[in-house]
Amino acid sequence: MSGGKTMTNGPSLFNIGKAHELSRRAFLRRSSHLACLGAASGYAMGLAGLSDAAAFETGGGYKALVCVFLLGGNDHANTLIPFDAPNYDRYNTIRGGLPDQGGIALAQSALANQVLVPQVEQTLTDDMQLALAPTMPRLKARFDQGVMAPLLNVGPLIAPLTRAQFESGNTSSFPRPAKLFSHNDQQSTWQSGAPEGSVSGWGGRIGDLAQERNTNSMFTAINATGNAVFLSGDEIQPYGIASEGAIEIRGLDRNVYRSAATSEALRTLLTQGNGHVFGNDYAMANARSIQFSGFINDALANVSLSTDFDAGNSLASQLEVVARLIAARQSIGVQRQVFLVATGGFDNHDGLIGTHEGLLAGVDAALDTFYQAMLEIGTADQVTTFTASDFGRTLASNGDGSDHGWGGHHFVLGGAVNGGRFYGTAPQISVDSDDQVGRGRLLPSTSVDQYSATLAKWLGVTQDEIPIVSPNIANFNAPDLGFMRAPVAE
Amino acid sequence: MAEGETAAPETLAFDRDEVDHQGDNSAPDSARKDADSRSLNVASAATVSTLALATAACGGGGGNTASGPPIGGTPTPPAPPVLRPSTDAEAARFALRAGLSVTPGDIVELRSDGFEAWLDREMAQPIERTAEQFLSSLGFEQINDDQWFFRSDPADYMIWNQLLTGGNSVRKRIALALSEFFVVSVNNIQIWPSSSIGAYWDILKEGAFGNFRDVLDGVTLDAAMGVFLNTLGNQKADPTTGRVPDENFGREIMQLFSIGLFELNTDGSVRTDGSGDPIETYTNEDVTGIAKVFTGYNYNYSGGIGFTDFTLGSGNTIPIPDAALLRNPMTANPQLQVPNRGDNHSPEEKTFLGTTIPAGTGAEESLRIALDTLFEHPNVGPFFGQQMIQRLVTSNPSPGYIQRVAETFNDNGSGVRGDLRAVFKAILLDDEALAAQSLDDPEFGKLREPILRFAQWGRTFGAASDTGFWLMQNLSERSNRLGQSPLRSPSVFNFFRPGFTPPNSQSAERDLLAPEFQLVNETTAASYVNFMERTIDGRGGWMFDVKATYSAELEIAHDTPALLDRLDLLLTAGQLSQDTRDTIAGALGAQTVTPDSAEEDMLRQIYRAVLLVMVSTDYLVQR
Repeated sequence: MSGGKTMTNGPSLFNIGKAHELSRRAFLRRSSHLACLGAASGYAMGLAGLSDAAAFETGGGYKALVCVFLLGGNDHANTLIPFDAPNYDRYNTIRGGLPDQGGIALAQSALANQVLVPQVEQTLTDDMQLALAPTMPRLKARFDQGVMAPLLNVGPLIAPLTRAQFESGNTSSFPRPAKLFSHNDQQSTWQSGAPEGSVSGWGGRIGDLAQERNTNSMFTAINATGNAVFLSGDEIQPYGIASEGAIEIRGLDRNVYRSAATSEALRTLLTQGNGHVFGNDYAMANARSIQFSGFINDALANVSLSTDFDAGNSLASQLEVVARLIAARQSIGVQRQVFLVATGGFDNHDGLIGTHEGLLAGVDAALDTFYQAMLEIGTADQVTTFTASDFGRTLASNGDGSDHGWGGHHFVLGGAVNGGRFYGTAPQISVDSDDQVGRGRLLPSTSVDQYSATLAKWLGVTQDEIPIVSPNIANFNAPDLGFMRAPVAE
Repeated sequence: MAEGETAAPETLAFDRDEVDHQGDNSAPDSARKDADSRSLNVASAATVSTLALATAACGGGGGNTASGPPIGGTPTPPAPPVLRPSTDAEAARFALRAGLSVTPGDIVELRSDGFEAWLDREMAQPIERTAEQFLSSLGFEQINDDQWFFRSDPADYMIWNQLLTGGNSVRKRIALALSEFFVVSVNNIQIWPSSSIGAYWDILKEGAFGNFRDVLDGVTLDAAMGVFLNTLGNQKADPTTGRVPDENFGREIMQLFSIGLFELNTDGSVRTDGSGDPIETYTNEDVTGIAKVFTGYNYNYSGGIGFTDFTLGSGNTIPIPDAALLRNPMTANPQLQVPNRGDNHSPEEKTFLGTTIPAGTGAEESLRIALDTLFEHPNVGPFFGQQMIQRLVTSNPSPGYIQRVAETFNDNGSGVRGDLRAVFKAILLDDEALAAQSLDDPEFGKLREPILRFAQWGRTFGAASDTGFWLMQNLSERSNRLGQSPLRSPSVFNFFRPGFTPPNSQSAERDLLAPEFQLVNETTAASYVNFMERTIDGRGGWMFDVKATYSAELEIAHDTPALLDRLDLLLTAGQLSQDTRDTIAGALGAQTVTPDSAEEDMLRQIYRAVLLVMVSTDYLVQR
């Protein structure tokens, strides 16, 4: 060994169904967390005398959050479109007109059936009426049913920020997220609060707090897409699953090239670290894969859903396995879960018209089908689905698409959503107003921390632990945006 | 020599089999070259170990320094002490970083001639077969009812042919590394996607040992890149509609292809301001400014590009341009565009990174200034150098290693900046890479990415195409394929990020970067094993046309120690631990295979050994 770097062999393993001694660990975790938050968080500083009373909220049965990540930066401006004449005209002008005029605006006539009429008295900025994209009729219907809510102009912020403050360049007095407008960094910032390289996301941090509610805490966070920081906590590591279920290593259950001894050797080698950090980490991934796949597939085998997910829609396929896992929640031994699914193709610098509407159609179908499945399973009120994306985009056209922005619009869907109305503040339809930073890149008026805090609170994170999930929440007046209904005792 | 062409080198005893086991029936030129080289081998064998000698004689061949091509064309000065690998394992370790696989012939040569002479010779090899040659000679550029002009599957045939067999192993390895820095994915390309990505691959292969500035120019104007990051069709601002230039390429060329987000010291460390914050290299205004440079570009119809009318199934007839169109660098000259849409290059002043291109400057001059500005930025050496070290040698190079490589980028010793041949030599020949003690360092090295595992398998065991068309697939699928496929990155951010650390891992505890782990989770860990099981024995549906021969291994299938010696050397550079080796030997010992066993029994024994080696962590971690 060189340089005093030593390494032990082999990963430590896990025990499904084993009772967990989580309380003490959870207490220590909380203590250190809140201490780390330090002076920056007055919210946390007010919490002297932290004790076991801070344990995860205990009421209610099963609950889950499902994050739907739209990779590439969704063009929010063609997702929720101004319909009233003055605002539509501004939109149409800034987007260069309709496609046959060389622009990227959607036709007003196509929006007529898609106007979202709030079920409560609500006046948006400049008396704006907003319509959902023409290819999202199913989410429109869910809005009308009161189970879907748009959250307007949300994005990463450290603290509320004005355009003048942003443009001052004074980052010490007016902090702003690092590496704005960069895909990988803003994906990471949305998911974790920090740019690429971050190792803990707010879904995972919710999982850290929620895991004590689960007999099998290793299934607290489940990822049905590619690796992402969102579901990694301090302790929680996401379990990765494929749309078809857990992938099992075939050679472990039968002879390999007609050799039982090879099958046995395979099992030995796969979980054997080699004294190298990477070897040990890889062996750990193998061990998790081997140990969990059979258990999960056994649980899934008992599930039969009649809801028909479109097999050609990758997002729907991911949501299908999520639905099946939720249906199997009792066999899996979980009461609180966080899921991640994702779909790509949203970086529409070119060919926005056509491409983007098709992508939204896929999202519309997948989310709606998933909600149907939740109705079928009887968990519609217990599962909340929400969207996220790298960033919103410019309102200005670059010819046949739009460029990287900052704030954007998102959706929350579920029986516990106080839907049928808007949340957040509608941005002006403008490329020079103070709620944007040029070309219509929105300066967020609602922060991701408020979004995450509202969802975390609904899932059962207690008030005093919200800063663990949403570290900047103390900087914002409204830690709960109100789009979730208060939990109903069972 | 044609390194790797017969990717399964035969033993001395079985020369008679070699014709039957030629690797690539579809590449007669290279096969001939390889056959020619056979007369040269063993010449330097006197200095090498028994193992290499026993297995090397007819494989790579051509390793005689005396008869090798002169390097650089000038008389050799009195030689400085030559650094040679002292063991076969050390030689294999070097070759497996520099190239896609190692042959016993490589080991002979390396031990005889030393690291640098071998590397020089590999780098000097002429390009044996281009993507263009592959695609055009096999009919994939014809306009016919197969509608190749819409299909991207020939791109997979092409690139797997390039990686699984043939010469130029080192050049291809470097091009693959470059393809993960200057990322373009065939996924997004609509017309002639295979020829487009083929042209791109040829630029990277051609430029691998040229100058970074030329590669930057080539990738910027390449049509596949133009489609991927939207330079193609990008127009100047139109104040009447509010249209502004597309920022995509302008942003990514700075963030990913040249300077990165933060100012760097030569050793790769991030420069900070007075308050300890990293200094960003550019602002969004710089993006807006440089975006104007990349306006006005479109397909370039010079060189007699014609059209062929083609009637689709729908009855519509559309003009299909010749595939050669995709090899022409894009142009901003409207005379060369079809149709002529007039000058769409921005005439505005273009300001970025402290450089101002005056209003009215034309496209060509603006591009020259912009690319020079990026190329001369002090970040390029450490930014590019660190990532290339990560691709080839170790995920966590020391600052000193990065500094030495960056300094070579800045000046190759003859005052030339951006000499890639010098940069890659500096990476591969650095003391930190060659040092034996790093073999014991639990943090040194990298996870082999799936593409490299599969390519190494194919080359080592003589993968060959029955049809000659290399009918391979896109292997990106994560749950029942390889989970990674060359030239098919999901985005411009590559398959994995250079700054990735797997959360909740020993790597994270030690603050180690482990980029390739971004591809590893419970799904892909399992699917890799399943994929290899069906790849090795050729039963996977994706392997219907391409099979390995295992010719050399068949001769020693009955001799477990010899078989393991060979696999250990060629797959892991002798890094199998005794534990792993004992486990595999035990599994093989459960079956009786003798020299008289049926070939299928011998093959199964080989499959078992290859699978067990290739799933072991000793193999998966390259150090």
